[in-house]
Amino acid sequence: MINESAPIIENVRLSQNLWQLKLLAPGIAKATAGPGQFIEILIDHSWERPLRRPMSIAGADNDQITIIYKTFGPATKSLSGKKSGEIIDLIGPLGNTFSGYEDNSHFPILVGGGVGLAPVLWLHRKLVQSEIKHILIIGAQTADEHFLADNPRENIYLTTDDGTLGLRGTVMPVLNKLLGEIAKPSIYACGPRAMLKAIQAVAVIGRVPAQLSVESYMACGIGLCQGCAIPLATDNNSRNYSLVCRDGPVYAAEEVSFA
Amino acid sequence: MRTRIGSVEFANPVFVASGTYGYGTEAAGLTDIKGIGAVITKSVTLNPRVGNPPPRIVETASGMINSIGLANVGIDRYLSELQPIYRNFPTAVIMNIAGSTPAEYRQVLEKAESVSSDIVGYEINISCPNVKEGGMEFGVSREATARLTADLRGLTERLLIMKLSPNVTDITAIGKAAEAAGADAVSAINTLVGMSINPKTWQSNIFTTFGGLSGPAIKPVAIAAVHKLYRQLTIPVIGIGGITTAGDVVEFALAGATAVQIGTANFRDPAVGIKIRDDLEEYLAVKNLTNFEDIRGRVRLWS
Repeated sequence: MINESAPIIENVRLSQNLWQLKLLAPGIAKATAGPGQFIEILIDHSWERPLRRPMSIAGADNDQITIIYKTFGPATKSLSGKKSGEIIDLIGPLGNTFSGYEDNSHFPILVGGGVGLAPVLWLHRKLVQSEIKHILIIGAQTADEHFLADNPRENIYLTTDDGTLGLRGTVMPVLNKLLGEIAKPSIYACGPRAMLKAIQAVAVIGRVPAQLSVESYMACGIGLCQGCAIPLATDNNSRNYSLVCRDGPVYAAEEVSFA
Repeated sequence: MRTRIGSVEFANPVFVASGTYGYGTEAAGLTDIKGIGAVITKSVTLNPRVGNPPPRIVETASGMINSIGLANVGIDRYLSELQPIYRNFPTAVIMNIAGSTPAEYRQVLEKAESVSSDIVGYEINISCPNVKEGGMEFGVSREATARLTADLRGLTERLLIMKLSPNVTDITAIGKAAEAAGADAVSAINTLVGMSINPKTWQSNIFTTFGGLSGPAIKPVAIAAVHKLYRQLTIPVIGIGGITTAGDVVEFALAGATAVQIGTANFRDPAVGIKIRDDLEEYLAVKNLTNFEDIRGRVRLWS
């Protein structure tokens, strides 16, 4: 876990509400193990907003890391206004990674929703580079939120709630259809809570190995404050919490409780 | 900047607050905690506690609200797994204790005292707003504070520090009760009761509805509490509330604090305590002061 002052290489808009930030961060880049991990980014140095913001790493190589973020509130909006050369204070890499996608035992289906597509997109690029066949499904509310091209022939499926691009609806219909067609699928997903909950149900019922990268509000991001706890599934009525920053953010689908 | 509280001499007056640095053992891997005057552990209770359901935290203007709910491993596991790590620890460790009944506080303290350990003392949490029976009901009552302090005083010769709540009518009365009953020091303040609502979803941002407000937003409330306590108590007052810079530490000292605790700021930068310590040393040098003690209580008032 490293604290690094990282100059912005590039900060560009990808779609209506998604931006891509490339940072020169050799320490963190070299230490990053793979898709799933995140950084805690300090957006402004005043104490009006005391806390860092956790953001998934969308790519790491040599001396650069890539972040895809959503302009959600005043902090992320101000981040989108920052220019090349400005320095951003980072802590990372944090958390665990997606795993098992290179052992060729299953056919990976990657599902990303909203800004959750960051780690999923990185996983997709890795699998492309390793020439491992897989499918990428990205869901959004409307066409303007997408920046990738819908390309089912190349195993990239886009969905929009309003049908303005790709398949109309959530990611679930196309996921369910593909699960029916593929012999030994596995799922890697990151996105809104409702999406992960739906994927969990399908994975558990269909006995499909699935890994979910979950979100939680965070303060320290490094396991000290216990603010990011989420409930895990338990057999009885007991409560069992896990710290997303330390034990996650990637969990086996059946481990998490969305109750 | 050596600082004395009771019979203990600390390397410097900059401590880290309970709940913001784990049990002290994790932090050793993240930052060089040798430079911190003392680590105050997460509150330890008699039985393990899983804490409150999420959401437990929300950022607010210049601060945050937390409702962690005293999540901790419980005294037995604390003693067996964590305490041995304190041997040859780079800095002083003060154990924070919370409970719902006087008996629970006593039992935790007795167990802690029964093992040989290197902790220098205890901070008693009678001010957590985040659990139904979390101790705050003691901290709002002079009599309850006095009785609990006297009870615990009889069980240990180590430092006994009572952590006071700002959610009271008269913090000085509580502080004086603790002093009369034998506390070596008081620490002030714990968090303020706060609430936050999302105007888009209409949802409360904290599961338990009410939580504890901390961070720079509360510093003026903390400074006032410290100064009031300083005027009326003879035992040291340890100041807590919104410290992010050495200037804040000086402000607390001028108000009367003997030492300070840094809390929320650690979430942004676990090394902030070290940086503040360094800046404080420089401040003393520039002002030609030899001791941090020289600043204490020296605020110039108008009336």
